Amino acid sequence: MSNDLVPASLRELLADIFEITPEQITPELNMTAVENWDSFRHLQVILAIEGEYGVQFDPQRIPELSSVNLLLEELQKKGATL
Amino acid sequence: MQSDSERLELRRCMKDAVVRQDAAAVVDFGRRLLASSGKPADVMFCASTFAAISASLNSQLGARSLKTYVVRSVTVEPLIPFLATEAVLSNFVLDLQVGGYGSYVDELLNSASALAAFHPDLVLIILDQEEIAGRLPELCADGIGAEVDQEIDECVARMAQLLQSYRSSSSARILLQGLVVPDCTSLGDVGDANLANSLPNSIQRLNQRMAALCGTISDCVFFDVDRLAARHGRVNWCDARMYLASRLPVSAQFFREYSRGLVRSFSTLFRASRKVLCTDLDNTLWGGILGEDGAEGIATGSAFPGNCYLEYQEYLKQLSARGILLAIVSKNNEADVREAFSLRSADLALGLDSFVAHKISWNEKATSIRELAKELSLGLDSFVFVDDNPVECAAIRQQLPDVAVVEAPVLEPWRLVEVLSQQPFFDAAVVTDDDVNRVKEYKAQAQRAELANSVNSRDEFLASLGIVCTFQSALLAPLARAVQLLAKTNQFNLTTRRRSAAEVEEFSSAVGGQAVVVRVRDRFGDAGVVGLALARNQGDACVIDSLLLSCRVIGRGIETALLAYLGDQALRTGATRLVGEFIASKKNTPCAEFYSEHGFTKIISSQETISDSIFYELDLTASKLTTPKWISVEGN
Repeated sequence: MSNDLVPASLRELLADIFEITPEQITPELNMTAVENWDSFRHLQVILAIEGEYGVQFDPQRIPELSSVNLLLEELQKKGATL
Repeated sequence: MQSDSERLELRRCMKDAVVRQDAAAVVDFGRRLLASSGKPADVMFCASTFAAISASLNSQLGARSLKTYVVRSVTVEPLIPFLATEAVLSNFVLDLQVGGYGSYVDELLNSASALAAFHPDLVLIILDQEEIAGRLPELCADGIGAEVDQEIDECVARMAQLLQSYRSSSSARILLQGLVVPDCTSLGDVGDANLANSLPNSIQRLNQRMAALCGTISDCVFFDVDRLAARHGRVNWCDARMYLASRLPVSAQFFREYSRGLVRSFSTLFRASRKVLCTDLDNTLWGGILGEDGAEGIATGSAFPGNCYLEYQEYLKQLSARGILLAIVSKNNEADVREAFSLRSADLALGLDSFVAHKISWNEKATSIRELAKELSLGLDSFVFVDDNPVECAAIRQQLPDVAVVEAPVLEPWRLVEVLSQQPFFDAAVVTDDDVNRVKEYKAQAQRAELANSVNSRDEFLASLGIVCTFQSALLAPLARAVQLLAKTNQFNLTTRRRSAAEVEEFSSAVGGQAVVVRVRDRFGDAGVVGLALARNQGDACVIDSLLLSCRVIGRGIETALLAYLGDQALRTGATRLVGEFIASKKNTPCAEFYSEHGFTKIISSQETISDSIFYELDLTASKLTTPKWISVEGN
């Protein structure tokens, strides 16, 4: 899948946190594929997304949001404007 | 909030500056990006960009690298990029390591722990209420709290044991974070306020006790996180969802404020505060322009808007009370200014005599500040300049980059005190008697200068001063003053080693070791503790590790008296040679020839050494160091 399926703002945010380029952010990218994406970076990702889009995730869902696609779906469910 | 295009432009500028290896530009663009963007991703970007140029931050900006270990019981990982970024903005480069959640006791007590192995320069102790005072909520709940005081005693005793034990095995600087006072308990707001042993009241007492404890541990500062929580709103300070799910102690929206406050607290352990505030007059110390509005027309006094300026004057007066020197730097006619101070004295919190010096002329302000630095024998990095004119501010920033510049908000004079107090220039965790006496001492300096003009020879002048030197142990100085001298003396400092309190104690207790300070007074006043030397014996030689003197007493033979004292003590402890060391810095050329001027010979090293040290020696059995005849010596 191509990376233009991920909105630019989310691509840039994730790229900053994982210290990779925005072009590398594709929907199927997940915790196992990104070396930097450990549980602490994951918390960082969640906090940054919450701040950027003004949403709050359910703590029980947070560990399950382990790929770009899952993050996107959850954001859409919350009605965030991407 | 900036538009995205501006943000992206600043990020591009940062990247370009990295390519050019221009550290100052990287930090400057980073500062601008962070000042207007609250986005966590921008902080992450700055953190990784700063990390990529950390070597240039050290070499080009003189940023100090700090190996920093976080002892914690809460989740701090998401805060790390924020801490690192705020540290760079304060010219520190943090090399951070985070300890385990449950291992803080072992880390602090066990000399073989990961903390000890890391050899940190700085330890941040970030524990939550559960760890520091886990039983308090239960003991406070009944509203009577019969056992609360005893429990607080025990909490403080436990913490004291941890800190003292760690201090005995390490000289790292320590920051201890306090507790956030809980916002609501089962007693309700009324009970929390009125019952002496409610949890909020008890935690407040515990915080005060921990702050006092930090004052008894050398190189240790208390970080009052509750002050920040109160300032930004306790309701939102901690996100209960994230605390309960992930033990995150601070809500993500306050990561920056938290990090800034923490960096500001530990900064005082590594650098001295600034010493002089130079203020402009028109539209800064008072409202309006004296030359146009006249002495009766300027705004100051109890009515608005004059009271905005009165607030600023009161603030300056308070700074002066703890030893910050005030000076006037103004483009005005001196006669007009004198008239204003005398005519409007009832409406002014400060008189002309509140200022240790004034430069009231039509000269360039940079020139005036340079002159002040010379007259007060202080480096430009001790100066703060406050002016409402953006052009004057820009000129000082450009011509005297070491001077801190504060632009007075001319259209909102009620904000001036707030703007000034947000800056960390005058932060100090410790205030000594010598700080408080400094203002008097600088006035005495002016009287001495007058006397110097009225006598013929230097010796006659010095003899007329009636100088008395008192030597005593650095531990009794008090120790805080000794460490302060080590931290901030630049010009007359032979090795510029910023020794910590614990290291001074080591010199004092070593066999043949000396940790000595000199206190100086003369007929004009008591300059207090102004010089220090650290030495220890190695074989037949007494090796001087550090020797320094506050620049305001240089040139009166006190440095010679201090050296003579060291020589005498060395002989007493069985040494026959005195070895001195000089390490050139940007600022210490005035003392480059100190040892050769006192008859020492340079030790030519047979081996190639990579160190910058130059060593000198003096055979104490063949030559004698003598105290100048115009100085009387007290102490053993």
